[in-house]
Amino acid sequence: MDTKYIRNFSIVAHIDHGKSTLADRMLELTGTITARQAKEQLLDDMDIERERGITIKASAVTMHYPYEGHTYMLNLIDTPGHVDFHYEVSRALAACEGALLVVDASQGVEAQTVANAYLAVETGVEIMGVINKVDLPAAQPAAVAEEIEHVLGIRAKECFAISAKTGQGVKELLDAICELLPPPADRTQEATRALVFDSHSDPYRGVICYVRVFSGALRVRQRIRLMHTERSYLVTELGKFRPQMSPVDELGTGEVGYIVANIRDLADVHVGDTVTDDANPAETPLKSYQPPMQMVFSDFYPGDNTEYSKLRSAFERLALNDASFSFVPQNSPALGFGFRCGFLGLLHMEIIQERLERENDVDIVQTAPTVSYEVVMNDGQIRRIGSPSELPDRSHIQELREPFVRLEIITSTESIGGIMKLAEARRCKLVKTDYLNPTRVIMEYRAPLAEIVYDFYDQIKGISRGYATMDYELIGFEATNLVKIDILVNGQPVDALSIIVHRDNAEQRGRKVILKLKKAIPRHQFEVPLQVAIGGKIIARETVKAFRKDVTAKLYGGDVTRKMKVLKRQKEGKRRMKSIGSVQIPQKAFMSILDTSD
Amino acid sequence: MIPQATSLDREAPGLYLHVPFCTSKCRYCGFYSQPLAGRDADRLVSALVREVQEYRNVAAVRTIYIGGGSPTSLPVHRLAGLIETVASIWPQAQEFTVECNPGQVGVEMLSMLARRGVNRLSFGVQSFHAAELELLGRRHTTDDARRSIEHAQDLGFDNVGIDLIFAIPGSTLASWEYCLRSALALGVQHISAYSLSFEPGTPLDEARRLGQIESVDEETDRAMYEMTIDCLASAGFAQYEVSNFARDGFACRHNQGYWENRPYIGIGPSAASYWQAERTANVADIDTYIHRMEAGSSPIEERDRPNRADRICETAVLNLRTRKGVDLIEFHRRTGANFREVFELPLRRHERAGLLEVTADRVRLARTALAVADSVLCDFSAF
Ligand SMILES: Nc1nc2c(ncn2[C@@H]2O[C@H](COP(=O)(O)OP(=O)(O)OP(=O)(O)O)[C@@H](O)[C@H]2O)c(=O)[nH]1
Ligand code: SF4
Ligand SMILES: [Mg+2]
Repeated sequence: MDTKYIRNFSIVAHIDHGKSTLADRMLELTGTITARQAKEQLLDDMDIERERGITIKASAVTMHYPYEGHTYMLNLIDTPGHVDFHYEVSRALAACEGALLVVDASQGVEAQTVANAYLAVETGVEIMGVINKVDLPAAQPAAVAEEIEHVLGIRAKECFAISAKTGQGVKELLDAICELLPPPADRTQEATRALVFDSHSDPYRGVICYVRVFSGALRVRQRIRLMHTERSYLVTELGKFRPQMSPVDELGTGEVGYIVANIRDLADVHVGDTVTDDANPAETPLKSYQPPMQMVFSDFYPGDNTEYSKLRSAFERLALNDASFSFVPQNSPALGFGFRCGFLGLLHMEIIQERLERENDVDIVQTAPTVSYEVVMNDGQIRRIGSPSELPDRSHIQELREPFVRLEIITSTESIGGIMKLAEARRCKLVKTDYLNPTRVIMEYRAPLAEIVYDFYDQIKGISRGYATMDYELIGFEATNLVKIDILVNGQPVDALSIIVHRDNAEQRGRKVILKLKKAIPRHQFEVPLQVAIGGKIIARETVKAFRKDVTAKLYGGDVTRKMKVLKRQKEGKRRMKSIGSVQIPQKAFMSILDTSD
Repeated sequence: MIPQATSLDREAPGLYLHVPFCTSKCRYCGFYSQPLAGRDADRLVSALVREVQEYRNVAAVRTIYIGGGSPTSLPVHRLAGLIETVASIWPQAQEFTVECNPGQVGVEMLSMLARRGVNRLSFGVQSFHAAELELLGRRHTTDDARRSIEHAQDLGFDNVGIDLIFAIPGSTLASWEYCLRSALALGVQHISAYSLSFEPGTPLDEARRLGQIESVDEETDRAMYEMTIDCLASAGFAQYEVSNFARDGFACRHNQGYWENRPYIGIGPSAASYWQAERTANVADIDTYIHRMEAGSSPIEERDRPNRADRICETAVLNLRTRKGVDLIEFHRRTGANFREVFELPLRRHERAGLLEVTADRVRLARTALAVADSVLCDFSAF
């Protein structure tokens, strides 16, 4: 196909601004799906996406659209809005020439609007401003257009006002895509180069690579080479997403589709790799992108030690379709064998955990998430640790560094004071403040990741009555005065309950942690002493009182059914517990150490 | 699908009759019963008789137990009629118990019971302290209790039991010991001792929630329970279940049937049955019950057919409440399951923690586990 009539674009936006709904309308208008096939957010096809009503994974789809006497091929990539999945947006953008930046007309520019706009600018794609949800009574398209111009430098009068819900303006938008977005460069004659922008694993066909062809063409039965791994494969199937996988014989320059080539292992495919012809390879690969950065780590242990291998195979299955989380075996003195897992953020962690439980019958106990730290040893060697328990003895350490992020918060002017107070308490340094308009402000902070990754978003939402949004980006590691708080349960140190905090609030934090633990650890048949230690010195202690009586006095014929139910519930309550010596520690206790509320 | 009859289904059941009347409602009571005043006892008794008749083809019942409510709140001749019906259908029952309310049983009632072949009496004494009886809302006095039990013994009853409640608000170890000693002094053969439970919705529970009374702390409750076991043991009463104690040979066979998970037939409003592999419960409303019986329809309101796993777990939990514990061979005969295999994990864990005693042919709660039995039993409620 003549590249002149191809348009490749991503839809990017803040969460819930209507990307997937806009994709639905485009699929309908272009006749890609029939009215009968239509359902809301059709491209969100994972169970968890549909249940939570959010997009987690980017999805591509090919549409055909007649414009001024020609049939255009439009390749659309719908992307997730949540901060954890920014890298999905970067990948999608790298496969496109254009981006539709969607902004909710009733909410205006929000934190991920800005972040995604930056990504689009960095990638060098053409950006079209789209103001969505103009059907809403609270919509203020003109004001939002002003804001877009002011903050993002996209001309207000060039923005498109649409309603993805009613379809208003969507046809005009499709016309404009054909008219205004640049076509792919015509590199039909050059050596084949296709960018792998995503992949997934199919139980029958092996790994399926999602590609964008930048030059040359791919054909069925062609021998291809992955330039990074230098392995070659025979293409057995090529196809496009319409949106279901539909085989084709060839994918030409500028086109988007998939490759099936008997690749067994997902680990053999690096997203960002370049596919070329094995016999006539390109000289240099396409520009790749940074692998996604894992921001939080947490250890997963089987509730019962005998289920370790079951947990391992569960992780292996999950990893087949999510290359962005990692798991490595871990042995905790207190908790036994388990896995240290790395995630893109807390939402990502929650999703993995949910899938793990849903798809497997394993009882798991998970430690509180933590950020990673850089430890500079006395000999100058630098180590990266993903758990406080790995922190070497102080005497071996020269310096301890923690990750810092550039944090952007967009909020209303009334809530500035409250948010600044919170940010200061969390060791965040204000870099600059900009007014989007007289009532909205964007604040940029330099913030320790550990202070903002857990409950910070909820807190600023609370302070701003739901108004504030935030986004962050890792900028590097920096030495700060950190100490480790250790917890002793029944006299025994429990590594999985340790946390690393700033020295200035260590004691206060330690006291809080122990009170939370006291609430979260159930009573046993003996007293359970809890202690907090900083640098080997006990700074606080508490006791979980023993329970002395737990027996139903009467159990006769009429009580059997009811009593069995009660006992089953009691048994359920013992799930997701880990025994440390003779003490049972429930899941919620591990998480309670992050709870900073009073 | 009609389940295959097994030898267990032909096992003689226990028979329970529920008389849902009381002269007045006690403040702690969570049972289904209603004040008798204005109620038509005649119609109820006829309905009970009708339901009993439906089971007349059952060849034998092991034991008979008339409870409530207060069976003795019925007019003597009505209760006599009911007993007569049952005793004439199943004259061979090994044990025939009637629950007696100390304030309601005079010589006339007791001699009727003796004449009709009742061979075991269970007295709801609850306490030997007037103030506690008052707090509980019991209508009888401690003298009533003493007198009625002595009358029963004079009439030749040699299998008499007393129900007592401990950990009543305001009680102490000493006051509880006095109750136990008073019970022993009466020369009874059986004592049931229950820790007071605050049933949701009862006036006593309400009073606690409002802070008008304070429940006995767990430590004292535990000490009272431990003391009960020791005190009764030294008086020759062996504990045979969590809350039940008896002189040798006087354990209540009817109740043992429940803990062995044998079948039983329950008659009357709200009564439960475990019969023909099905657990059922009758409607818990006197009028509806009477109407249904008079209309010839079924009084059953709830049905549940335990599956194999349910049967295994129920048997385990019930058996473990007894001091005999689980007899591994008997368990296998009753459920077809190997107890050690099915419950391997909880067995191992609780044995290690010293909460279970495991021998070659038996598993039972350790003495120290009795007070916290539910925390162990719950692990046998599912697998
Ligand atoms: N009234 C109105 N509602 C809309 C419009 N577009 C989307 N919505 C609603 O906004 C909500 C979010 O829409 P989605 O399409 O899932 O948003 P998204 O941007 O894909 O969200 P993420 O993928 O989670 O980032 C849904 O409830 C939609 O029905 C619109 O034009 N008008
Ligand atoms: S006599 Fe027994 S059944 Fe009747 S109200 Fe009192 S406690 Fe309840
Ligand atoms: Mg979406």
